[in-house]
Amino acid sequence: MTQDPIETRDRYRHYLGIQTRWSDNDIYGHVNNVTYYSYFDTVVNCFLIAEGGLDIRDGGIIGVAVETMCRFRKPIAYPEAIEAGLRVGKLGNSSVRYEIGIFRAGEDEAAASGHFVHVFVDRDTNAPVPIPAPIREALERIKAEAPGNKGRSKR
Amino acid sequence: MSDPSKQSRDDFPYRMSIPTRWGDNDMLGHVNNVLFYRYFEAVVVRFQMQEAGVDWINDRISPQAVETMCRFHRPLSFPETVEAGLKVERIGNSSVTFAVALFGEGHKTPAATGHFIHVFVDSETLKSRPIPAETRRAYEKFR
Repeated sequence: MTQDPIETRDRYRHYLGIQTRWSDNDIYGHVNNVTYYSYFDTVVNCFLIAEGGLDIRDGGIIGVAVETMCRFRKPIAYPEAIEAGLRVGKLGNSSVRYEIGIFRAGEDEAAASGHFVHVFVDRDTNAPVPIPAPIREALERIKAEAPGNKGRSKR
Repeated sequence: MSDPSKQSRDDFPYRMSIPTRWGDNDMLGHVNNVLFYRYFEAVVVRFQMQEAGVDWINDRISPQAVETMCRFHRPLSFPETVEAGLKVERIGNSSVTFAVALFGEGHKTPAATGHFIHVFVDSETLKSRPIPAETRRAYEKFR
């Protein structure tokens, strides 16, 4: 198993508060591992809709997940409210790699962290398309900035 | 390792069928990416209970998920039945890595491939513990 440095709040550029729900907990009383990816989905899509003008209903371009990953460090549990931190690690022509941290209230170290790669495609043909300008501008604003960090874009 | 997206069902010694459900599809008409992990979990947990002797209710030392990953090669969609395949990729001292793949109906290559890492933890001290010997022997049979 690779041991990456523990992610801290200062490494993310955008935050979304998420209220956990009763049904997020499994029989151990902790949020089930699968549910973390619904938090990933939520922070990414809320950002694209609010900041990039993504139209999930009628837009001709959609984001398709091609790879996701999560490392689980500390449990979280309903009824706590969490925060999802978001930054852009790599911005390509038609794809973007988001890096996400899940934080408990008042804690600086992430309870879980991972990534999510989106490819933007034409809704009808499924062919990759360049990231639309308003979305690209929004993604540029949350690019990872720490020098020498592995999430930094190398393009 | 060869390109995982080219693997076949025969590359995975443990398999189970998972019928998709209406509610698995999102508004684009495909199974949502999050649900792929629900299928991963189903095959991993069933394997652990049926083949590796794991009893999450009664055992003091039991596996917990520490890392999962999925690559999405092709969509899945209700009402197809998914075939999930599993093989043991790596056996550590206290952790085991499963390679997992999901096959859609009528396809020889997987719709998704990824991994699921379990670490054995003492439920009282929350410290990692060595994989029990019988469980380790079971893993060896599914490499």
